[in-house]
Amino acid sequence: MASIAVPLLFATVAGLQTRIDAETRSIAQKSDEVLLRSPAAIQKMSFGYDSLLADIYWTRAVQYYGARFAKKGATFELLWPLLDITTTLDPKLIIAYRFGAIFLSEKGTGGAGRPDLAIQLVKRGMAANPDEWHLDLDLGFLYYWRMKDYTSAARTFLAASKKPGAPQMLAVTAAHVAEEGGSLDTSQMIWSEIYESNKDPKIRERALQTLQALKAAQDQLHLNEIADEYKNRFGRYPASISELRSAGLLNGIPVDPLGYPYVFGSDGKAALNPDSPIVIPQDLNGLAAPKQ
Amino acid sequence: MSAAPMPVAVNTFREAVRDRVLYNLVFFALLMIGAAILVGQISIGIDRLVIVNLGLSAISLFGLVMAIFIGVGLVSKEIEKRTLYSLLAQPIRRWEFLIGKYAGLVLTLVVNNFFMTLGLAAALFYVGRPFVRTDAVILVSIYFILLELALVTAIALFFSCFSTPMLSTLFTLGIYITGNFASDIRGFGDFTKSPGVKVVTRVIYYLVPNFHNFNSIAAASHGEPIPLALVGQNTLYAALYVALLLVAASAVFSHRNLK
Repeated sequence: MASIAVPLLFATVAGLQTRIDAETRSIAQKSDEVLLRSPAAIQKMSFGYDSLLADIYWTRAVQYYGARFAKKGATFELLWPLLDITTTLDPKLIIAYRFGAIFLSEKGTGGAGRPDLAIQLVKRGMAANPDEWHLDLDLGFLYYWRMKDYTSAARTFLAASKKPGAPQMLAVTAAHVAEEGGSLDTSQMIWSEIYESNKDPKIRERALQTLQALKAAQDQLHLNEIADEYKNRFGRYPASISELRSAGLLNGIPVDPLGYPYVFGSDGKAALNPDSPIVIPQDLNGLAAPKQ
Repeated sequence: MSAAPMPVAVNTFREAVRDRVLYNLVFFALLMIGAAILVGQISIGIDRLVIVNLGLSAISLFGLVMAIFIGVGLVSKEIEKRTLYSLLAQPIRRWEFLIGKYAGLVLTLVVNNFFMTLGLAAALFYVGRPFVRTDAVILVSIYFILLELALVTAIALFFSCFSTPMLSTLFTLGIYITGNFASDIRGFGDFTKSPGVKVVTRVIYYLVPNFHNFNSIAAASHGEPIPLALVGQNTLYAALYVALLLVAASAVFSHRNLK
């Protein structure tokens, strides 16, 4: 009797639960996902298990970001409270500052578009972990890439280079940023540092994609200069790469970092091959060509 | 000290094992396995941290539950089952009986923690992390948890000498919570301008066991060194407080009318 009744009742309960879920889904969507927003209160109530709670809140932040990433119309308003709580509970959780800054600073569907909060988060991390040069690198990157504040970026990179274990290359980067902030090759240098200094595959992939885009943007600038020279000689822009080769202005077929040949548009400007997976973000177009 | 408490301690340990108290180890093992497999898939960059934090928190929480719920029944259960009378008819004094009961439960907690530590080490090994020198901090943290549990057991035993299990549980939990907020209580006093409140909060701060002293889970998860002096001071603090509680418990129990 019990062997039939127990599974039957379980099945009924499970069925009922799905009904309740459907009924409460709309309520759940409206409800706040962070009931307690005071990091200090949560820390007090953690009874010494604050580092475990920090891990839980960090996981929640990752899940929250992941659920909204690349979704049209999605907002990230709870990202800051989650990161605030996480880093208050465990001020040594470096990963939360580093990834959190990316989550907060990315624009559009990639993040909260709040570089100011990202800077606040990283500065907090630096105060709690003064020897962690990676955080200085991240702060310098935020100043450089998101705020276009090259003076602060140069100063931060220089400070990072003086910390224990930091690569000496950061001092060179600082000098480049101070001298030529906003140029393509300086940006390449900074993204290379990001690529080299990170172990996480997701950040490395993002850095690699940007490096490829920067290289493609640089190649296009170079090809446009050659196209201008072609126009000076023949009175019109080249229609294809082969015309540049025939004119003796190019030796081979230039390809992008993924091996796709560049093409020329009807406006006479070099462009990426339509088949190339490389995407050059809008904000890269504003970067200046390197000084000759 | 005579060897009289020894058989009581051994029997308390045996009884705990017979009561399947160590079954919590199975749950702990499942928790560790689940965390080791799942965490890499649902979070970023905290595989090792979660294993250490979750492992140490579980060791502490499981131990706490055992210390409180078994501790409060150490004396009252013997009275309820009327086994205490036949025991005290033996050549054993009441305080020796109490020491034996206390030692038996602490032994159970030590054995429990030992196996949990093995489980934690296995989980860390599973997430593909070689053991390094800074892992010694994890062992120090487990030692601190044991000191904390020894103190909680003494509190539970103390209340168990004159109160019902239900009330003893509430009192012990109350002391544990107050002990965790000890520094905040002192902080409240510092906020006020009243010298009277300041004195009262300061007295409470020094009177209640300061459980925050033993919290080193965060340090263990980040491999931060714990000063040797702190290990010594915490050991002494726990030993003194336990001694104080056991003396008080013996005094209460010796004068208790068991008829």
